[in-house]
Amino acid sequence: MSRNVLNVPEVCLVSYRTNMEKEFQHHLSRMPENSAIKQQKLPAHRLHFSNQAIFTIFFATGAFCFCIGIILLLSAWKVQEIEINYTNICEDCAKMRENALNFDKQCTCSIPFNLQKTMKGDVYMYYKLYGFYQNLYRYVLSRSHNQLMGKDVRDVKDCAPFKVTSNKIPIAPCGAIANSMFNDTIILSYIRSTSEHIQVPMLKTGLTWWTDKYVKFQNPSFRNLSDHFVGTEKPPYWQEPIYELDTSDPGNNGFLNDDFIVWMRTAAFPTFKKLYRRLYRVKYFSDGLPAGNYTFDISYNFPVTKFQGEKAVILSTLTWNGGSSIFLGLAYTVTGVFLWMSSFALMAIQGKMRKKKLSHRR
Amino acid sequence: MSRSWLLCGMKPLQGSTHFSLGNQKVEKRMGCQQSLQSSEVLKVRTIYINDPLKNTFCTNSISTTKYSKWSFLPRYLYLQFSKAANAFFLFITILQQIPGVSPIGQYTTLLPLLVILAISGIKEVVEDYKRYMADKVVNSKTTSVFRQNSWHVIKWHEVNVGDIVKTLNEEFLPADMILISSSEPQSMCYVATANLDGETNLKIRQASLEVAGIIKEGQLVNLDGKIECEEPDRQFNNFVGTLYLRGKSPISVGPDQMLLRGTQLKNTQWIIGVVIYTGFETKLMQDEDMHYEQNDLYAMARTSNLNEELGQVKYLFSDKTGTLTCNTMAFKKCTIAGIIYGNHSDNTDDGNENLSRASFCEFNDPKLLENFEDGHPSSEYIKEFLTLLCVCHTVIPERCGNDILYQASSPDEAALVKGAKKLGFVFTTRTPYSVTIEVMTETHTFEILNILEFSSNRKRMSIIVRTPAGHLRLYCKGADTVIYERLSKDSLFVEDTLKHLEIFATEGLRTLCIAYTDLTETEYQDWLQEYKKASAVSQNRIQRLEECYEIIEKEFLLLGATAIEDRLQANVPETISTLLKANIKIWVLTGDKQETAVNIAFSCKLISSTTPRIYLNADSFEAAQQTINHNCGDLGNLLGKENDLALIIDGETLKYALRFEIQKKFLDLALSCRAVLCCRLSPLQKAEIVDLVKKHEEAITLAVGDGANDVGMIRMAHVGVGISGNEGMQATNNSDYSIAQFRYLEKLLLVHGTWNYFRVTKCILYSFYKNVVLYIIGLWFSFVNGFSGQIIFEHWCISLYNVIFTSLPPLTLGIFEKCCSQKSLLEYPQLYTVFQTGEMFNTKVFWIQCINALIHSFILFWFPTKMLEHDMILRHGYTTDYLFLGNFIYSYVVVTVCLKAGLETTSWNRFSHVAIWGSIISWILFFSVYSFFWPIFSVAPEMTGQINMVLSCPHFWMGFLLVPTTCLIQNFFWKLIKNTYKRGLLEEIQELESRKDSILEHSEIFEKRMTAASLAVSFSTQPCEIFFRDDSVDLSAPHGYAFSQTEGAVVTQEELVRAYDTAKMENSRISKRSSDFSEIF
Repeated sequence: MSRNVLNVPEVCLVSYRTNMEKEFQHHLSRMPENSAIKQQKLPAHRLHFSNQAIFTIFFATGAFCFCIGIILLLSAWKVQEIEINYTNICEDCAKMRENALNFDKQCTCSIPFNLQKTMKGDVYMYYKLYGFYQNLYRYVLSRSHNQLMGKDVRDVKDCAPFKVTSNKIPIAPCGAIANSMFNDTIILSYIRSTSEHIQVPMLKTGLTWWTDKYVKFQNPSFRNLSDHFVGTEKPPYWQEPIYELDTSDPGNNGFLNDDFIVWMRTAAFPTFKKLYRRLYRVKYFSDGLPAGNYTFDISYNFPVTKFQGEKAVILSTLTWNGGSSIFLGLAYTVTGVFLWMSSFALMAIQGKMRKKKLSHRR
Repeated sequence: MSRSWLLCGMKPLQGSTHFSLGNQKVEKRMGCQQSLQSSEVLKVRTIYINDPLKNTFCTNSISTTKYSKWSFLPRYLYLQFSKAANAFFLFITILQQIPGVSPIGQYTTLLPLLVILAISGIKEVVEDYKRYMADKVVNSKTTSVFRQNSWHVIKWHEVNVGDIVKTLNEEFLPADMILISSSEPQSMCYVATANLDGETNLKIRQASLEVAGIIKEGQLVNLDGKIECEEPDRQFNNFVGTLYLRGKSPISVGPDQMLLRGTQLKNTQWIIGVVIYTGFETKLMQDEDMHYEQNDLYAMARTSNLNEELGQVKYLFSDKTGTLTCNTMAFKKCTIAGIIYGNHSDNTDDGNENLSRASFCEFNDPKLLENFEDGHPSSEYIKEFLTLLCVCHTVIPERCGNDILYQASSPDEAALVKGAKKLGFVFTTRTPYSVTIEVMTETHTFEILNILEFSSNRKRMSIIVRTPAGHLRLYCKGADTVIYERLSKDSLFVEDTLKHLEIFATEGLRTLCIAYTDLTETEYQDWLQEYKKASAVSQNRIQRLEECYEIIEKEFLLLGATAIEDRLQANVPETISTLLKANIKIWVLTGDKQETAVNIAFSCKLISSTTPRIYLNADSFEAAQQTINHNCGDLGNLLGKENDLALIIDGETLKYALRFEIQKKFLDLALSCRAVLCCRLSPLQKAEIVDLVKKHEEAITLAVGDGANDVGMIRMAHVGVGISGNEGMQATNNSDYSIAQFRYLEKLLLVHGTWNYFRVTKCILYSFYKNVVLYIIGLWFSFVNGFSGQIIFEHWCISLYNVIFTSLPPLTLGIFEKCCSQKSLLEYPQLYTVFQTGEMFNTKVFWIQCINALIHSFILFWFPTKMLEHDMILRHGYTTDYLFLGNFIYSYVVVTVCLKAGLETTSWNRFSHVAIWGSIISWILFFSVYSFFWPIFSVAPEMTGQINMVLSCPHFWMGFLLVPTTCLIQNFFWKLIKNTYKRGLLEEIQELESRKDSILEHSEIFEKRMTAASLAVSFSTQPCEIFFRDDSVDLSAPHGYAFSQTEGAVVTQEELVRAYDTAKMENSRISKRSSDFSEIF
């Protein structure tokens, strides 16, 4: 501003002053708000840990992880689990199923096994498929949520390539997922003695998430289920229509069939388990599965050898944290150990640096 | 731009033959050869004076806006999609519209892209609106024009070609005009052109006397005629035209009658002119236009022009006038008869800025007057000294009430006369042949016999007077070198004065030596004969005159020397020293004279008295090449390193130095010097230098300036900073940043630059990190899904990742993060070098961050995968699906990424907390709500029930603790190790600060300070010990001579002085002026 003092006659000073005032007001209007945010003066603090604090953090976290790890490992070891892979055991059936023409022929396979220790508590039966990619992009998409909700059984628009039959009749349930449903029947028998074969009582329901049964899957109506599927066709690979999946329990049919619902929840990995049955704890089995000899009688319908897959049946108890997986326990334990090691490493480094500093000072 | 060009309708070339003839005549008469090319058809415009309807040229309104209403959408979209990122996303969006191509739906890219485009669109609109408003302010400035026989006050944009415009003192000229009359004798006027060329002295313009006469007779109403002139071009100093007035012979007009838009009227009550070029056709706006177009070409490259560049500036190009200096001169010190005066006020002066501002032109040393009045032995010398200051000059006094104001084209002379006035030697009256001064109520009149004019060759001006006592005396002031050559053997105080001159020069003051000699009558008469002969010569008259002056300018008796302060803006030296400490190289680019530039370099401590100065002043390419080669040779190994050297080059030599053959050599030499001063540069040359450095050095450049002549370099540099001063808004409007004073650069660069760089670095690295983490998980998942393209997350969860769940942490990092406090940054300018060298952000850092992200994504995918692989993890034996795993992973990703932001945050405030914890909570909330969307809304059926199952799964919570910990603990660990082993200055200071927060341990802080201080030492340059053989190098102490005066103007200094008779004016000034006005207007 001062530069104009040179040679400014009085008259002009007036006009200049008004200019200056204008400019000043102009500046005022552009002046940023004097708030802590705009002036970058927010109260802030810096995280700063002393060496001791850092050591404590590392050591304590390590100890915590280690303890959790041990607890998890112990609980995983408590789980009893039996897995029987029946791909090779039922070789004949497997071969037969490779030929699609044999679709109407029955094939059963019996697998005896011995349970050395009683499986206490609730026992769950799973089937397990190896190398079955339920997580393929087009497979996952191939379903009709509207149809499964019972809103419109003829809504098959997302179900390619299993939308309609060759006669243009819509398929119910449509889509690749439904079409490929697991359809082996597995019956567990307890051999109390050579003459007394008892079929272990198993529950077919209560296998699904609550939301599946009550939100995502609905039958068009509960009465006269078959009427509502008039005008639709069963999926090409199926032997029975959707409303005749469970002849013993009319409530467990249609889209609300538990096995169907379980299958429709597509697994994340190519090797996966799905819940098949749970033990009905009555009579001999009120405490679980007693030790002894058992047989699996398997009606072998689901072909796996065609795609180099395998299948297995599993019996397992569960703890608060699920099954016998030890990964989490191991991960915690290892992390804990690593944290301890790093805490000592840090301490050593800091000691070294301090010594260096001291010698420098001298 | 194109719109405004369309508005400028071209005048059809009617009767071009006739006009071209007329023009050739003019050309001949004016001796102008370069202006028009006769081979082309001459483009001539005819302007009808006082008859606006006949003139159809473009309006005087200007527009610097980027868009218009209609061009906005196409232009905006074009600009947006020429950015690689936007084009990429557009491409992706288009691909996604093809059904079945994208695994994540059709709108997941489109919507975010639209949001981004909308936001930046709003930003563009707001910015363009600001430009529009700034233009509006300019367009609605007012001026008076003569229409319908009376004066009207109209807005600038209403001014038309052919209008007769009246402009008052200190006003800016609204358009390019031909001067036809002014309030001053001989229709002269003064204009300040600093805005256009950065020169400090005022320019004199004079109307053709034939026209002026007519106007004076009050014939404005009847003024009827036309002007023929060239079509507008960009040459500031070229103009040829002819004025045809009815009933008069044609009058030629040239650059001396031309008043340009952007210049300011000074020391002149009023002027009247005829508008010839308006709006975008004015020389000023055209120039700007050119730069605008140039910039447009660079628009794409300038997209990288973000705030962070402020944190990496390596070269600072500064204008001088108005940027470093205030453009005011003040008589500050002097030495008379070997005694130095004015020294003592120095200390008090610097202390208080307000005080120094108020008293800046005060020569404040009572000792001088005491010595004078108390009959000190030197009192006679003092009297002679001050008398000389009062008499030997070309200043015109003007009485204004009881006060006298001085008009001068030379600011130095104005300062000296004012200084003398303050000391009681008041210059009161100038008549064509005398000056009258008042000393202690006594009046003395000196008869002025001859004025031996100043020129930059002569470096001095003398005046021959007859003193009141009747003696003949020659007073001279000039450069020490030329005065000392001419001193008589009897001259006293020679050594003392020389010593004092050095003191002045080291302070950067502009010095002039003061000397006189007595002449005998015969001596004078003899010389007068010579002089008359020389004046009568028509060829080489100036040279002959100068030779003639030489004869009589001899046997000088030294009186002393004056020191004038070219006042610096507040805190300029401090700022410069801080910036130098921050390893920023400062180049001064000025249109002003070499001496002035060197003086300013001294006064702002850019160079010290021990700094060797390499002067590159060559008049041919060969000479320039030779000097540059010699100096490069002398530097030897030190070439390319920073030496305590100063390079001074003028515009003429620069022209040669910038030639392709020696360009690189010149740059090497310049980069080896700590300071570079380029003087007498045209605006284009300023831009060329910046361009040269920008091209050859991979460093960020910053240009700072305040005038229209700086616009080129401001636009050329990576970062353009405009000083919003008095010299118009051109520089500010074209800059990336505008500040009020040079000293704010310190804060702008060191604090905001550093912070911004730090923030942008963190923000970019973090954004890369978080996206790599999320999207690489898709890759890992491909390994287990047969590479089928299935994604593991729900569509909208992915789309909202950057929009909601992790949007805040980069924002808080980018807005609030601070590497250290403002105080520390200013206290340790060396911190700037950490950022300047790009240690914070380079390819290595980038890849390390990417690898880190890769490791994190590996852990984030495979840990949950291994956890869930067993499938038996839920109560009641329920089994899960792919999205169950996806939700595990997604939750862990959000937690890890948010906590990683916490790890990166060095400065926690409440927003950091909101961002980090809030983001995690926002995901959980979204997850909860989203799981219940189906079937109410027909989205995300797969999500149904996920929240209950995920949150009730013990594995989820076990992993929630473990997975983010595993990811981040390693980062934390390495950070600790790095902080312990590889400590830089930044870490030291950060620790220092955090300790201040908690407990202070004094001795330790002291120790830390010492280490920081010792680091500071390593940056200072070693004293230069190079043996220079080339005579272009000046190792001696500086002299400090500088003097600014109009040369080669339409009116010579002598004519100017002889033109005024203030004795007459004094009596009748006010009445005369009023009658003058009434007569004319």
